[in-house]
Amino acid sequence: MAGLGAGSSARSKGAPSGRELFALSTLGLLAFFAVWYGVASSGWVPSRFLPGPVVVADTIARLSDHAYAGYTIEAHTVASLQRFGLGFGLAVALGVPLGLLMGWYRGVDDVVAPLFESVRFIAPIAWVPFAALWFGTGIGGPILIIFSGAFPPCVINAYRGARQVDTVFVEAAQTLGAGGLRIITEVLVPAALPSIVAGLRVSAGLGWQSLIGAELIVVSSGVGYLMVQGQTSLQTPIVMSAMVAIGVVGFVIDVALRALESVVQRSWGVEP
Amino acid sequence: MHDPKGAAAPAASTGRLRRFRFALAAIVPLLVLWYVLTSVTHTISPGRFPSPNDVLQAARQISRGNGYAGGTLAAQVWQSSKLVLMGFAVAVGTGAPLGLLMGWSRRAEALLNPAFLLVRPIPPLAWIPLAILWFGLGDGAKIFVIWFAAFVPALINSYTGVRNIDPTLVAAARVHGASRLQLVTHVLIPGSMPMIFTGLRLSMQASWTTLVAAELVGAIFGLGHVLIVASLDIYPGMILYAMVWVGIMGALMTKALALLERRAIPWRG
Amino acid sequence: MFTNVKRSFRRRDQEVLALDDVSFEVGEKEFVAIVGPSGCGKTTLLRMAAGLDFPTSGSVRVGDREVSGPGPDRAVVFQQFALFPWKTVEENIAFGLRCRGIDADARSRIVASYVELMGLQGYERAYPQQLSGGMQQRVAIARSYALDPDVLLMDEPFGALDAQTRVVMQEELIKLCRVNPRTALFITHSVEEAVYLADRVVVLTRRPGRIREILDIASVRRREGWDTYERIEEVMDLESFVHLRTRIWRLLRERQEDAAPAGIAVKSA
Repeated sequence: MAGLGAGSSARSKGAPSGRELFALSTLGLLAFFAVWYGVASSGWVPSRFLPGPVVVADTIARLSDHAYAGYTIEAHTVASLQRFGLGFGLAVALGVPLGLLMGWYRGVDDVVAPLFESVRFIAPIAWVPFAALWFGTGIGGPILIIFSGAFPPCVINAYRGARQVDTVFVEAAQTLGAGGLRIITEVLVPAALPSIVAGLRVSAGLGWQSLIGAELIVVSSGVGYLMVQGQTSLQTPIVMSAMVAIGVVGFVIDVALRALESVVQRSWGVEP
Repeated sequence: MHDPKGAAAPAASTGRLRRFRFALAAIVPLLVLWYVLTSVTHTISPGRFPSPNDVLQAARQISRGNGYAGGTLAAQVWQSSKLVLMGFAVAVGTGAPLGLLMGWSRRAEALLNPAFLLVRPIPPLAWIPLAILWFGLGDGAKIFVIWFAAFVPALINSYTGVRNIDPTLVAAARVHGASRLQLVTHVLIPGSMPMIFTGLRLSMQASWTTLVAAELVGAIFGLGHVLIVASLDIYPGMILYAMVWVGIMGALMTKALALLERRAIPWRG
Repeated sequence: MFTNVKRSFRRRDQEVLALDDVSFEVGEKEFVAIVGPSGCGKTTLLRMAAGLDFPTSGSVRVGDREVSGPGPDRAVVFQQFALFPWKTVEENIAFGLRCRGIDADARSRIVASYVELMGLQGYERAYPQQLSGGMQQRVAIARSYALDPDVLLMDEPFGALDAQTRVVMQEELIKLCRVNPRTALFITHSVEEAVYLADRVVVLTRRPGRIREILDIASVRRREGWDTYERIEEVMDLESFVHLRTRIWRLLRERQEDAAPAGIAVKSA
């Protein structure tokens, strides 16, 4: 019955119980920290290079009280988030409309697509030298890097969303007497929205990661900078604390956009 | 059957020709504008953006003799590509089987998922400083970071690939008496192939991005190293030339993978 | 006020004749159903009346104006419902009214009255995907009726519904048409549905679509007192109904057998 039922998927026989799975998950989680702790305190690896979880937690607490590399870890994180917000916002504000226009108008697509294709494969981080040259290392430079990471998914997903609109919706709107502008705002944009929102999530992930890259190289504040400072002074606990902060922020951004995605999908009736 | 095929082929080729014409129409004026603004009217200062001539000179310099930043372009590109391929191979070799395993067995998923979820939100680029601390500025650090960058998409997509296999296919194989091993080799792996390749494409892109970043942050050789040296020298011609090669290599790797995909999944059409 | 003259219509690709010299007229407040084998161009006919498609030659007129595009005087009910998934039931019904610029008060009054008429109370704020197919089509019909159109165009509106829901919807549509008669053009491939609902049935032949015959149902319905029966199965049991149904089936059948060899010849050409 387990193999042929409607709810089953391509999985091995003998479905384990929920309790067993929960126990295994807990075990996996504990094992992760145990291995980390064990290796760190065994002395195989110098503790200078691999501090244990306790040391890292301790370092995070210390960094939030005492400034390192100019600021506390919270202030560094806020500086990073500000840059991220600006760069990501710019990418969305320009990328989504461009993608939609390319999807609706063949002429725009024909002209923009080759330009877009010719820069798409340049890794966002490769813009660092020009970003520094053009906008300096303050706020402008990093924003360009985030932008170059976050822009392509916005364009691509808005484009896909616009192309996939079922013509029956447009025809229905026409027969109900809707004009061009109303069709755009009430039919074409909403129809493309699930795809756009899915793109935002990819875009935010790439933007955040590009920002960290930029901060490793060009700026003098932010979590990436904190990491580099920790690295050059051989302070592994500080590097790992910054990694935790980066992971937490990245996770929160992802969860927020995932929530937005599921709200849109649910009210649009799209199965995720 | 015969007619539609005959009708489709010319349509596709005129479409490609049309696209090509539009691409020329979009890019050629831009190139002309670039030349005019930098070399005729001098609206854009050469310290901010190079003229075509600057780029040509940079190209000549790096391809001859000792090259630039420690080697010729060919050597630098080879260095970067070699690292990407090595890191990519290690990542796919570990990530895809693990993903298949987690997709197939709920127990394995329950055991491995928590650690994966904890580590996953940390972007690969954030591992660079730690990698440098652990492995120094050499190849080891780069391969480690690339492994991390490419591992995640390879795992997730092969996992999704297994989960998305139509259960009736598995049931059909069982009904016909397939053994466990046959089930894995004849149903699960081919069935997940399309998703695995999607993962490989993402992995490849992540590998390349991450390598360039890692070389920018700390390296003694490679395309990213060229970029950072040119940046410190304030040598816009070389910056642009190196960026063009970053793009070319990224595109080449993606295209190569797409070709491989068509070979590996002929039933996809 | 729907005078409708249609003539030969050729489709672009390889000059396939989809509709050949089709002419008929729908009288004011008359319900005309078009039946025919699939691919006979009946949907094309309806799309031309809606202004979503145009004849290659001949003309389509509504009232005394040539159809030049879609408009709210001719409401369309689509087979796939075409409800906007991102709008609630209320918002869907109100959409056409808002396009017409009717103020909020009047709008909510009209919407409320159609919600009640179609039995949609309690679902006003639901999204279409949360409703069953039958409920969705009620919303679509309400959306069309709310515009108070001169002409209703229905393209297999019940084609996507299961058999039982379909019967219920047919009974409701006939009640609706008694309360609120409209000029209606109704496409279906169900002979029963056409005979049950329509005043006249237009039978089309297989491609190229030509008019085989136009049958007058209204006079039989009045003479035999179909409207005195509540349920569709009672009407369908009447000898007069069976007689008409069989006659239409014969018409469809005979053309199909004639046309079959010709159809194969067209394919291989």
